[in-house]
Amino acid sequence: MQIFFILGIPGLLALTALLVKKQRIFGILNSIGYLVVLCESALLLKKVVLSGGVKLCGDFIHLDTLSAFFIFVISVVAFAATLYSVGYIRKDVETGIISEKKAMVYYVLFNLFCCSMLFVPAVNNLGILWVAIEMTTLISTFLVGFYSSKESVEAAWKYIIICSVGIIFALLGTILFSYAFSLSGGTSSLNWSSMVASAANMDKNILKVAFIFILVGYGTKAGLAPMHTWLPDAHSQAVSPISALLSGVLLKTAIYAILRFGTIIIKGVGFAYFAHLMILFGMISLAISCGFILVQKDLKRLLAYSSIEHMGIICIGFGLGAPLAVAGALLHVFNHAVVKSLMFFGAGNVVSAYKKHNMNAIKGIIKAMPFTGVMLLLGMFALTGFPPFSIFISEMLIIISAFSNGSYLIASLLLLFLAVIFGAFIYHFGEMLFGNIPKGMAPAGEPLSGKIAFLFLFFQICVLGIVLLFIKKDLLWIAQNLFQA
Amino acid sequence: MRELILFGVLATTYLMVIAKRAPALIRSFRYQSFFLFLITLVAGYTEKQINLYFIALLILILKVFIIPHGLNLITKKINVEENLGLFVNAQLSLIVALALTYCSRVFSETLGFGMDYRLAAITVAFSVIFIGAFLMISRMKAFTQVIGLLVMENGIFLFASFVSGGMPFFVEIAVFLDVFVSVIIMGLFIYRVNKLFTHIDVNKLSSLKG
Repeated sequence: MQIFFILGIPGLLALTALLVKKQRIFGILNSIGYLVVLCESALLLKKVVLSGGVKLCGDFIHLDTLSAFFIFVISVVAFAATLYSVGYIRKDVETGIISEKKAMVYYVLFNLFCCSMLFVPAVNNLGILWVAIEMTTLISTFLVGFYSSKESVEAAWKYIIICSVGIIFALLGTILFSYAFSLSGGTSSLNWSSMVASAANMDKNILKVAFIFILVGYGTKAGLAPMHTWLPDAHSQAVSPISALLSGVLLKTAIYAILRFGTIIIKGVGFAYFAHLMILFGMISLAISCGFILVQKDLKRLLAYSSIEHMGIICIGFGLGAPLAVAGALLHVFNHAVVKSLMFFGAGNVVSAYKKHNMNAIKGIIKAMPFTGVMLLLGMFALTGFPPFSIFISEMLIIISAFSNGSYLIASLLLLFLAVIFGAFIYHFGEMLFGNIPKGMAPAGEPLSGKIAFLFLFFQICVLGIVLLFIKKDLLWIAQNLFQA
Repeated sequence: MRELILFGVLATTYLMVIAKRAPALIRSFRYQSFFLFLITLVAGYTEKQINLYFIALLILILKVFIIPHGLNLITKKINVEENLGLFVNAQLSLIVALALTYCSRVFSETLGFGMDYRLAAITVAFSVIFIGAFLMISRMKAFTQVIGLLVMENGIFLFASFVSGGMPFFVEIAVFLDVFVSVIIMGLFIYRVNKLFTHIDVNKLSSLKG
């Protein structure tokens, strides 16, 4: 039942945004709407974990723990983004960057975007899943090119072309899966629930080829290297709350799709095949992002490359496959979403105050904007996996599991890359946060709703980091439940 | 009959590879979509399914009439020179296309699609997909990328209609509409690129890097 609220409220809000003329009022209405979505998704997650999957509308919607978990992650970040949008959009309107009318266009697109993302984990049919993921691309293209500057239109063009090509390959993979399914005697339905059930009888050869297409296709959307080239452009040019959504949850919806096909592959072909591919792509992503983070000059691009790094870690976690690693990877999905949104909100404040993306020109954030500066400092430590924040725990789980599996090479490479990235982040942020404010910069205000968004996100990474130390057992139980591999 | 139409699809794909100007490319795309329409019609007739007739009609309306017409309008409106800007010249492109067709043949054999007309159909489908991808990366102008994407989509459609009798009906419709919307949005962005940069050469869109 909750799922109808979760999908319906963003849709209704998109319609309301067409009618309401004042962006201020609508911004607040929007936040309230997403607060309800967040509560409903928490209830849904609880219900699914305790009493098993839900089927609705003649099996059109099928929710298990994995999908409920992803819905929850999306609604957490979406709620924070609505809070942040209130202040951010108001400021843009007041400074005349965008008109009142365009602000309402933003809210319409925002809601459509969230609605399509929430739709992805809910559907059972893999064809409709493809359509939903393509919809997220199409809608967010407008949000990437929102400011209509040369750079943003260029980024939007690259984004829509690269992601559309990628996703066409994913469609090919989906059709191959359905072909393998029909050979094994299934009907021509594309429901993953029935595909998983008869995965063992499917043709291994076709499944293997199909999964490569899926991994390349949805991997493009998930920002896995070497298909990541659209990601830094799009994330750096999008409106800041949207950067947070893109980086925090859009990439995860693609990972969700890969996992759905992954469960079929694990049953049909065996775990080793899935594991090797995931770990390979994860490692390439880590290595490439590590290099670009070291030499990066643009603040938002730095954060975008860090997203590629974290997607790599998540893939390695799922690829290792032990319950401990899967639990770590799932936690990492949540933690990364929360921390990265926090960082993008901070970066948004910084960029709108300094009017620049270039890190060499940004100095003395802590003096200019004390609240944002402190949040960025703490968020930076959280992002690079410093205790007591929750990313530390999820990375720890993955590394422990790699060592106890005997995959020493993977574990040591992971540690090496993490150490290098940690150093690079300390260097870049040390330069930006401290030092003197450049001459002629007016002190910038920090709106209240933005502060609430920061605190909301920060509270989660902090509390989760400490609480998780004590409830590891439950987590393992959930992970085992999910991924009986 | 089927073999003849499949040959038509392949031939129009080669025509696109050697096209040097935008109107020629769009015309070939129109022919290819028309052959796709014929194939779906024949399949509908032999398998006696109403769904397939409906899909054939959609192909006829969207891909043979509306989309090529819209692309023609865009090329006229934005008023840039009609040369496509070939990174790889026509002769070499044709050789690449032939090589891709051969690869598709080998690929579909390893996937295990018998030796009857199905093998030919799958080979044609894969070569259309790969040649579409090749078109996207070897031409300079932005609308070649849109057409390349549409060609790839045609290939996928062909593929889907020959394995397992296609996808479920409503999925097929949803995919169709999705592609249609994406073409509209890409057209819109071609406009914007042209307005801001006064050209649509994608190789010159290079201010974002690193």
